[in-house]
Amino acid sequence: MMEMLLHPMILPITLPVVAGVVCLLLPRQLHKVRDIIAVGASAVTLLLALRLLVALRGGGLYTFAACPLVNLRLDALSGFVMVAIALFGVLSALYSLGYMAGRERLNEYYAYLLWTVGISCGAVLANHFLLLLIFWGMLGVTLYLMIGMGGSKASAAAKKTFIVIGGSDCLLMLGIAIAWHVTGRMLMDEVTLTMTRKLNVLAFLCFTVAALAKAGAMPFHSWVPDCGEKAPLSVSAFLPASLDKLLGIYLLARTMHGLFVASYALRVLLMLVGAATVMCAVMMALVQHDLRRLLAYHAVSQVGYMVLGIASGTAIGMAGGLFHMLNHAMYKSSLFMCAGSVERQAGTCDLDRLGGLGRAMPITFVSCLVAAMAISGVPPLNGFASKWMVYQGIIEAGNQSGPWVIWIVAAMFGSALTLASFVKILHAVFLRKPPAEAERRNVSEVGFSMWFPTAFLGLMCLVFGVFWKRLPYTFLVEPAVVGEVTIPGLWWGAPAALVLLAGIAAGLVIYALTTARKPRVCATYIGGELMEAADIPGEARSDSRDVEVSGVDFYRTIETMAPFRGFYAAARQKAFDIYDVGTKILFYFVDILRAAHTGLLPTYLTWLVAGMLFVVWWLVRAGGG
Amino acid sequence: MNPAVIILKALIFPGLLFTAVLGLVTSWVDRFVTARVQMRVGPPFLQPFYDVAKLMIKETCVPAGGSTWLFLGAPLVGLSGVTLGALVVWSALLFGGRGFSGDVIVALYVLTLPAVGVILGSFASRNPLASLGGSREMKLLLSYELPLALAVLVPVMQSYAAVQSIRLADMATQLPVASVSGVLALVVAILCMQAKLTLVPFDAPEAETELTGGAYMEYSGPPLGLFKLTRAMMLVTMPLFLVTVFCGGLDVADGVLPALLGLLKVLGLVVVIVLIRNTAPRVRTDQAVRFFWGPVTLVALVAVGLGMMGL
Repeated sequence: MMEMLLHPMILPITLPVVAGVVCLLLPRQLHKVRDIIAVGASAVTLLLALRLLVALRGGGLYTFAACPLVNLRLDALSGFVMVAIALFGVLSALYSLGYMAGRERLNEYYAYLLWTVGISCGAVLANHFLLLLIFWGMLGVTLYLMIGMGGSKASAAAKKTFIVIGGSDCLLMLGIAIAWHVTGRMLMDEVTLTMTRKLNVLAFLCFTVAALAKAGAMPFHSWVPDCGEKAPLSVSAFLPASLDKLLGIYLLARTMHGLFVASYALRVLLMLVGAATVMCAVMMALVQHDLRRLLAYHAVSQVGYMVLGIASGTAIGMAGGLFHMLNHAMYKSSLFMCAGSVERQAGTCDLDRLGGLGRAMPITFVSCLVAAMAISGVPPLNGFASKWMVYQGIIEAGNQSGPWVIWIVAAMFGSALTLASFVKILHAVFLRKPPAEAERRNVSEVGFSMWFPTAFLGLMCLVFGVFWKRLPYTFLVEPAVVGEVTIPGLWWGAPAALVLLAGIAAGLVIYALTTARKPRVCATYIGGELMEAADIPGEARSDSRDVEVSGVDFYRTIETMAPFRGFYAAARQKAFDIYDVGTKILFYFVDILRAAHTGLLPTYLTWLVAGMLFVVWWLVRAGGG
Repeated sequence: MNPAVIILKALIFPGLLFTAVLGLVTSWVDRFVTARVQMRVGPPFLQPFYDVAKLMIKETCVPAGGSTWLFLGAPLVGLSGVTLGALVVWSALLFGGRGFSGDVIVALYVLTLPAVGVILGSFASRNPLASLGGSREMKLLLSYELPLALAVLVPVMQSYAAVQSIRLADMATQLPVASVSGVLALVVAILCMQAKLTLVPFDAPEAETELTGGAYMEYSGPPLGLFKLTRAMMLVTMPLFLVTVFCGGLDVADGVLPALLGLLKVLGLVVVIVLIRNTAPRVRTDQAVRFFWGPVTLVALVAVGLGMMGL
């Protein structure tokens, strides 16, 4: 038994779970020990996952079967996702040390975090459908619990998440049941369904909905913005931003390439979902006033790219989708962590009330800048490398993926809209003149445990963008792709970065040779108006605050424009929120039933008698027959 | 590829230095044609060079309270971006066979970097008017990027159908402008280029008369000089990109005369945008957004539709 528990494939599951139990049981006085266990256990899990991946590359062990149910299988895809899960586990634990410090119920928090890491590893290793389902369901529970750490204001968001995710879990169960019914097999590597029967199509849709709900694609996205707004930001950085994407896209990749052979129509449907997700979510992000909600909408929008890549059906598209999944986890985690640092230091995430933090929090600012450029797909950062592969995949698929021009334009235009909303963040949070109340706050940079994971991920965005071929692609992405990846052409990441560097160096030389070496600091000029109280000899002191530009309303022009006005009005009515729409439909029927419950005894008696008469009539009729 | 060769190409030929000289010459063309439209004599040939050189010896001022490193770094983003963009386009034209599949997408993405530089620089100025200018630049980018992507897809489709390649070098061997869809797409692309270069009527980000320079408001001396240089380089790189994608490239391999003829195509596009900028009044940002997302996108969609039918 002990030997079984220490098996290299079991250990990444059991170790974090056991460590989580220890965290839960430790007395509160030993919080230092608990912190060490949380970071240490997740770090060891990362090492274990890396060791498994290395062993797999060396052609080592990759299956484990203790009993029919406990059947694990490691392939390049699950190894890749598992390493990513463990990596984000470590960074989130480290970040939480600073971000969550001083909060209540921290033992529970770290226990949930470690359990999530362990269970996620189990979910990607599981080869038995039921085992997958068990782990998948448990992840829904830990997600619910972790969002609930946000206190009473988060409970509605946690409930909503639980219902959306739980509902999709039920569909996954149905899909599994159909797959079992059709094939009679429960092991994932033994099942391949073609779209020849209606039942198979239903199973495919069930699996896809489960994957999309987990990843947060439209129309199952509505839990992500609520969760991003209400849950602690370390949870947002850990779950909706990274882990749920990894898991959801993992399941989608398994579904599309392995469990099912998707037909043309279904792939076009998925591409449509992807393109709509990119566009609609980013349009929503554009007009948000809350940093948390804005970032969460981007966590939805970016899923679209992954779906587009994987649904294109080409090997390079799938590689792009998987690579984008990893890249997204990196920059979005970093961005959520930046938001967390800002919130902790400045006390708010409201874009209207922030400003000027670029000087006070330089590391956070630079990390946010790099991550923002990466998510907008600015070359040579990682977001561009993976988006570019997705484009290649769509073009290569050509007419095989339906109206491909639409997918490409949606993806490219989505990039521009993404840039627009991050430009707004950079302006409102870091660069603009802070409002009067914000100026009074004495904001400083966050501590090491908070800035290190943020900056590390920002740096990785750069490294993975420039050396995408040499590092992540060759080691992680390419082996995980089903089929031979023929890249029609390579985005020359490193040479392009060299050219950019040369251009920057040339500019720096010009600066060094000219007056830019010693610039003079001057007051800003705004057409003779004074922006802030300044003592200028011969002039009266003035405090003209009205010339402030917050940046929150940059895109008011678009918000009030004809077709979009209707879109935003409908979104405010929650017309695109499947949870809200579902609730409304449910309560419509509940209200009809409720009408019968008047509380009047005679009415109830009438029903009773009528029912009894019906039963008698039916029995008589049946007996007569 | 040898890193030293890459750096040489980037800095001297056909990258930074070459494109900068060509760009400044183009900006002389711009000023000369403008002068003739307004019945003036126009500046001497070297005037754009004098202007940039003079900015280099002027004092550098940075706004108080702003992010100094980003303020000074933003022009470098634009400069390096246009260098890379120019290098990608020139490589396809001059060194046939160079380039990689999909470099046209790279060129499209990289050529947005100058706008990103302007936006970051304006925000780092910590000046409300500059912020407004930056936000207008962003909205302008949003508005033209949609029809531009659609327009460029027309030659991409045609090239993929004809030679199964979406390399710029192979696209330059095609002549999309000989088809109806190509002509429509080129018209759309020229309008988008006008906005990308923030030339009148799409100069709302600077808008001297209302924002007193807007995005560039706080800039002076060498950083402003670098911005001007970037603009000049864009002034030649964008027409060059359109000529490559729509009008059959420069035909450098065929000898000197066809290559000069190719340069005339670039010059022709430059004269077109100069004439537009001299005969149209500035539009508001919301008008520009409506214009690009409305009729221009519609025309681009028609072009894509026709292109799909092989017309």
